[in-house]
Amino acid sequence: MNWDQLELSPRITAAVRRAKLKSVREVLCFSSLDLQRLTGLSLSDVQQLLTVTASACRRRPPVTALQLQRGECPGIESGLRLSVGCPVLDQLLRGGLPVGGVTELSGESGAGKTQLALQLCLSVQYPPQHGGLSSGALYICTEDSFPIKRLQQLIREQSSLRSDVPPSLISSLHFSDHIYIEHTADLDSLQVCLSRRAPLLLAQGLVRLLVVDSVAALFRSEFQADDWLERNRQMLTFSSALHHLSQEFTTPVLCINQVTDVFNQSNNISGPSSSSVSPALGLAWANQVMVRLMMRRLQETVVTGDQSSILRRLEVVFAPHLPRDGRDAAVWREGIRGVGKSD
Amino acid sequence: MLRPVSSLCLSPSVKLKLVRAGFQFTTDLLHLRPGQLSAEAGVSQQEALQVLQAASADAAGGGVTALELLQKEAELKSIVTFSSQLDEALGGGVPVGKTTEICGAPGAGKTQLCLQLAVDVQVPRCFGGVEGHVIYVDTEGSFLLQRVVDMAAAAVRHCSLLAEDEEQRVAMETFTVETILSNIFLVRCRDYVELLAELHLLADFLSARPKVRLLVVDSVAFPFRRLLDELSQRTRLLNGVAQHLITMATSQHIAVVITNQMTTRLRGGQSQLVPALGESWGHAPTIRLLLHWEGPRRLATIFKSPSHMDTTVQYQITADGFRDTEQPELPQSKRRQT
Repeated sequence: MNWDQLELSPRITAAVRRAKLKSVREVLCFSSLDLQRLTGLSLSDVQQLLTVTASACRRRPPVTALQLQRGECPGIESGLRLSVGCPVLDQLLRGGLPVGGVTELSGESGAGKTQLALQLCLSVQYPPQHGGLSSGALYICTEDSFPIKRLQQLIREQSSLRSDVPPSLISSLHFSDHIYIEHTADLDSLQVCLSRRAPLLLAQGLVRLLVVDSVAALFRSEFQADDWLERNRQMLTFSSALHHLSQEFTTPVLCINQVTDVFNQSNNISGPSSSSVSPALGLAWANQVMVRLMMRRLQETVVTGDQSSILRRLEVVFAPHLPRDGRDAAVWREGIRGVGKSD
Repeated sequence: MLRPVSSLCLSPSVKLKLVRAGFQFTTDLLHLRPGQLSAEAGVSQQEALQVLQAASADAAGGGVTALELLQKEAELKSIVTFSSQLDEALGGGVPVGKTTEICGAPGAGKTQLCLQLAVDVQVPRCFGGVEGHVIYVDTEGSFLLQRVVDMAAAAVRHCSLLAEDEEQRVAMETFTVETILSNIFLVRCRDYVELLAELHLLADFLSARPKVRLLVVDSVAFPFRRLLDELSQRTRLLNGVAQHLITMATSQHIAVVITNQMTTRLRGGQSQLVPALGESWGHAPTIRLLLHWEGPRRLATIFKSPSHMDTTVQYQITADGFRDTEQPELPQSKRRQT
C-alpha cells in the first residue's frame, strides 16, 4: 500500500508506516483507540486517518433512488432483467432474472430446471430490446454431462420459440459459439473456475450469465453429515464468490438446486408450500439466495399439434420484488413456455 | 464525582505524561489553560488543547434528568409501518433515536419492511409522518427499484385518499413518487470493510443532510457471516458496528433499522432457529423484531424491547407493501397481485 497516495499529512503517514499497517482495509478494522495505541497519534489525527482511509475504500458516494431510476449511475443496475424468452414466464418474473444477485431454481429431477437454464443461455445472446444482454453464457456442470444434443435442438428451433424476433437476427446469432461449458467434478475445481476463468470471461464481456447446474451435487456428495461446519464454510466461500461476480459484473447468476423431502410440513420456515419437498442445502444456503424459484411436475399433460408434454409449474418462493405466485409451463421441442394467460 | 485522567479517551503516551506530572482526576485539569498544561506536563500545545477539551466535555456532560429525557423522547416521533397492528405493538411505529433489528428466515419479509420504512419515513408531517430522508445501506444487492416504486406509488395513493384540508392538499403536491425516490440515498457495500468505511463516513453525510431520519442496513449479517473462521475478530468488529449505530441513533436523532439472518443452533440434541451473529450482538439493538411464518400466516413478534410487552401480530405483504391482514380470522396471507 502506498500511503503517499492518500491525502494525509506526512506526520500521520509516517506514524502509519511505523505502526506497520499494511493496507487501508487493515486500518478500518481497528477501533480508533487501538489505532491511537498502535500509531501513537492523537485522537483527532486518528479520526482524520479513518475518514481518509474510509473515503479511499468507498466506491461511490450515496446515490439517490431517482438517479438510479434515470440510469445515471453506471455500476449500480437495478432495473435490467434477463428475459426467459417466454412472455408468460417473464410476466411472472416481472421481466426476467435480475442482473445483480443469485437466483436459485430448485425442483425434483425431471421438473425442467436444466431446460430453463439452457433457454436462458440462448436468451442472453439477444440484444437488450429483445430481452437479452448481447453476451454469452458460462455453464458450470457439476453433476451430469452438458446436454449438448438438446442445446442444438433448441438452437434449431429458436425461430419458432421467439416469433417476436426477426428471423434474420436469429440466423445471424451464432448461439453455440457463445456458450462456455465447464465441468467441475469437485469443490476445488469449482473454486478455481469461479476465481480464475469466470472473472476472465466476464471481464472480457464474453459472458453475462453464470449458470451452476447444480449446487447441491457437490455439497451433498463431498461431506458427511457430521462435517456440517466445514460444509457451511465451503458454502459461504462459494456463495460469496458468486455474489461478488454477480455484483462486480452486473451479471445474473442462476443456481440449480435439488430438493429434499420435508417431514414436518407444519413447521416450514419459508412459508406455506404447495409441494412436499423443499430446496436442498438448508438455511445456510437459503440465506445467500436473493430470488428463490421452484419448479415441479403436475399430473396433467398438454398437447399442441404433434407434441405432448407433462405440465409443470414455476413458482416464486421468495424475491424482494416478486409476489408469491406461479405459472403453469410445458416443455416443447423449441423450449419451455408458459401455458395460458399472458398480457 | 472524580474521574481519573487515565479513563479519558486520549492516546496512552499523553495519559502517561499527565499522570507523571501529577494530574490524577479531570478536576485537576479544569482550571488550566493549554499553555500552562503544556509546560507542566511536557505535552505539545495541540495535545494539551485536546486534553482540556476532553476534560471539559466530561465535566459538561454531567447528566440529564429523567424528565428531560422523557420530554426529548416525546419530541421524537416514530415511523409508521403501514400495518396498524404492528404500529400499535411498537407503540406508534419504529422509534426515531433507537436501533431496531428485524430478524427472519429468507423470504419472511425483512427487506420488504425495510423498503416500506424507507418510503414511510417521508410521509408529510400533516399526515402524522416524520417527513425525513433515508439512507439505505444495501449489502445483499436486494434493493430493487421496481419494488420501491410500487410501494412509493401505493403510499402516495394512500395519502391522497386521506387528504382533507388545504394543508394536506398542499403537502400532497410535493409528496410524489419522484420526490420519494430522490430522498432515498442508496449505498451498496460488497463486504464488511466497505460497510465499516461507510459507517465512518456516515457522520459527515448526516451533518450535510440534516433531514435524514432513518438509516437502514440490510443486512448486517450478510457481510459478516463470511468471517466464520475468525470469530474473535468478528465479535470485535461487530461491537464496533453496534457502537457506531447506537451513537448515530442517539446523537443524530435518527431511527436505525438493521436486518439479521437466522441460523440453526443445536442445543441438547434439539435444533432451534435463532438470530445470527451470536449472543453479544443481541445486546446492540434496542428492539428486536422477528418475522416468521406459522403455517400460512405471516407473523411479527417483538421479542426484545424495554418498553413493550412481547407481542405477536399478523401481517401480510401485498402488491402495495407491508400491510395488516384484512380479515384476521381468515388464514390467508399470501401476497397477491392486484
